[in-house]
Amino acid sequence: MTTTLTQTAAAISMRDIHRTYGRGSAEVRAVDGVDIDFPRGSWTAVMGPSGSGKSTLLHIAAGLEHADSGRVFLGDSDITSSSDRQLTALRRSRIGFVFQSFNLVGSLTAEQNVSLPLRLAGRRPSRADVKAALSSVGLADRGRHRPRELSGGQQQRVAIARALVTGPEVLFADEPTGALDTTSAHSVLDLLRATVDAGQTIVMVTHDPAAAARADSTVFLRDGRVVDHLAGASAGALAARLVQLEA
Amino acid sequence: MFRLSWNGFRERWSLFIGAIVTVCLGVALVQSSLVLLLAAVTGDAPRGSSAIEIMTFDESTTVAITVLSMTLALSAFLAVFVISSTFAFTVAQRQRDLALLRLVGGSRSQVRRLLTGEAVLLGLTGTVIGIPLGVALTSFQERLLARLDLSPSGFDPATPVWVFGASVGVGVGLALAGVLMAARRAARVQPLAALRSTGAARRSMTAGRWFVGIVALAGAGALVLLSPKGGASGGQAMAPCASICGAIALAMLAPVLVSPIAALLLLPFRGVLGRLASANVRDSVRRNASTAAPLIVLVGLVVGQASALSSFASSAKDELRAGTSADLVLESTRPLTLDVSQVQGVRSASTEIDVPIALTLGSGEDRTTESGRLLVVDPTAYAVAHPRAGSLDKLQSQTVAAGPGALGMSPGDTVSVRIGDQRLGKLPVVAKATQTIGGGAALLAPAGLVPTSVLAEAHSRTFVSLEAGADRAKVSAALADHGSVMSIERWLDDSSSEDTKTSTNILLVILGLGAAYALIGVVNAVAIGAAARAHEFACARATGLTRAHVVRTALLESVSVTAAAVMLGLVAASTSWVAVMTTTAEVTGTGALSLPWDIIAGLVGVVVALTTVTSVITSRNATRQAPVALLAARE
Repeated sequence: MTTTLTQTAAAISMRDIHRTYGRGSAEVRAVDGVDIDFPRGSWTAVMGPSGSGKSTLLHIAAGLEHADSGRVFLGDSDITSSSDRQLTALRRSRIGFVFQSFNLVGSLTAEQNVSLPLRLAGRRPSRADVKAALSSVGLADRGRHRPRELSGGQQQRVAIARALVTGPEVLFADEPTGALDTTSAHSVLDLLRATVDAGQTIVMVTHDPAAAARADSTVFLRDGRVVDHLAGASAGALAARLVQLEA
Repeated sequence: MFRLSWNGFRERWSLFIGAIVTVCLGVALVQSSLVLLLAAVTGDAPRGSSAIEIMTFDESTTVAITVLSMTLALSAFLAVFVISSTFAFTVAQRQRDLALLRLVGGSRSQVRRLLTGEAVLLGLTGTVIGIPLGVALTSFQERLLARLDLSPSGFDPATPVWVFGASVGVGVGLALAGVLMAARRAARVQPLAALRSTGAARRSMTAGRWFVGIVALAGAGALVLLSPKGGASGGQAMAPCASICGAIALAMLAPVLVSPIAALLLLPFRGVLGRLASANVRDSVRRNASTAAPLIVLVGLVVGQASALSSFASSAKDELRAGTSADLVLESTRPLTLDVSQVQGVRSASTEIDVPIALTLGSGEDRTTESGRLLVVDPTAYAVAHPRAGSLDKLQSQTVAAGPGALGMSPGDTVSVRIGDQRLGKLPVVAKATQTIGGGAALLAPAGLVPTSVLAEAHSRTFVSLEAGADRAKVSAALADHGSVMSIERWLDDSSSEDTKTSTNILLVILGLGAAYALIGVVNAVAIGAAARAHEFACARATGLTRAHVVRTALLESVSVTAAAVMLGLVAASTSWVAVMTTTAEVTGTGALSLPWDIIAGLVGVVVALTTVTSVITSRNATRQAPVALLAARE
């Protein structure tokens, strides 16, 4: 089944993706023949029970992991068998990541964390650019703080600023609200919504129906296969579907 | 990149302190040994010295140069070893950070550059502290050498300014060399590793480790086989090296050896903590190997060298006892004005005058000059006093014989002999005394060869055999005016304890500081290892262990790994034991092995005590915070 969510050109296209871990009796088919397009300028949530292959799918889509078979396209580029060097270049300019555990560099200030991807790419970001990136996530006055001096919600917003500073085609988010209290989670989701409304593409893996409800559409996985997709569903409807799948 | 290095350095200085300390001590040790070696090489005897004084000065200079070269070589070896294993461990502990860097767009070469930048910073910091420490160490080593009689009189080392520049090169170079391999491996980290909190099981055995380990093992085997074929001097040179190769081999193979042995040692501990410790030990291959490697090298090196020295010394004593036929020995610092063999009650006497010389062998490019000793002897009397030496009948005027301590000399060769500024010209070697483990004079010469002006200052030793029924006291009294008289037993004891003292002193100078340095490497590895386990400890406590349980489990692990490392170190040392036994059996007919139990017991005690204390302190530190705070906190 090819799940095409809209007719606009896809930011990420995945064709017949397979990924198996282990061998023999320990074999786990994490992703088992997935065909999916993530549309440009849209926010897609990926939900499913634990072990349904959500994270593996995200990692393969982002070029962090290789599929055993199948093809992955980022826009027009086939990244299926890109070299380490090519993938590094992708991460610098076309892909951004946000994770549950923030993953900021503890020794660097918020400003330095945000400018890190640009510096790694050999660019010298102006102070104003970095400030602008931080104020777009509402942390203009926290630039000189180190991650441990910030709350979880603030750290996640720094991480989002860092992911967006390169102007990536796709922002991948793996449980971005998983480690946050409800208030912080709200503000992070508001922030993500605002970036999508401004044209950003987001692919987000989540357990949280409330988070998925903020996305434009939600894809459900079970046992490594796409089993459903819902657009514009409420948190309650998403939760009910998830419970059904987990049964 | 440099800025990131600098920030990382400032943030994680506690993790890097170990690396800085090892660089700093490595620089100090190498600088100090280098300064002393330079002073020994360039030193000259005081003006106006006599021929014998010049030769004596040269001889003790040779001893000092040998000891200091070995100290320098060992310092450099340990510095490379300890620094690279500390750096590798430091890098391994930060795998997640490095993966994170890759995740936000860092390339492999940027990861390498980051680590290289850090290494330069660490190297420079270590050097800045290491240079003044080295100056202090120089005066300490100088006093040690003087006190142990291993440096020439008037030895006064000055530190040339360029040595400081060399130290900067050494510090930065050692740090870079240490990080090179680690950085290559670290750059291969997958970005995904940043997302896995536990970290995937990392391979600890690399192809490089296997290669170096197996080559070193083969080297140890070859040395064990070749030692008995190397003769007295070759065997003595090769036997101690076997344990060095063995220690390097086992340190390289530590990841496959240490964990299984340590787990085996924990088998008797069947309680919950014992089982947990055993499981942890089997799981943490990398950490165990990092702790064990410097221990294996330390124990292998110290026990191997000390055993070889003490065994050869005891073999030499037995050999001397069996090879000397005399009742009394007369030691004299003046020329003898008495023909001892004419004294009433004396059956025979071999007077041997000891002259320090410079000996030149070979010609053209193969020419080598070394300092040694020449004994002026009466060939017939010598053969009586030393019945195992062989026949010296051919030794006549203007010829020499290769002595019991000769190196690479046989009848038919020609040697040049110089005493101070007096040259004795080219002399044919016409005979060869049997080589001995204990060594001794390089040349034997008949009377008349050495100018009387030289002999006037030389010491002499006379081995006296008494006639049956002669009055020992009476003969002693007759000789007492000409020097100090002692029984042969007393002389044997004195000379062997003198030899033992010298070899112990040499061992102390060469290995003492190096051993202290290696111990610091061990403490470092234990401390870095435990500090990184705060999260794991917190998990264990959340599961129901008390803080004391955690500390005790960590201690069990630490002691079992230490014990495994000590055992492997002793295995490495045992290659030298085999080589020593076969060599002494080949040369003297009796295999000798005398283990320095005091050194072994002392070393093992210090090692166990240090790792125990370090483990308790660091695991207590790592469990100071409430577990829930640690489990919740994620950077």
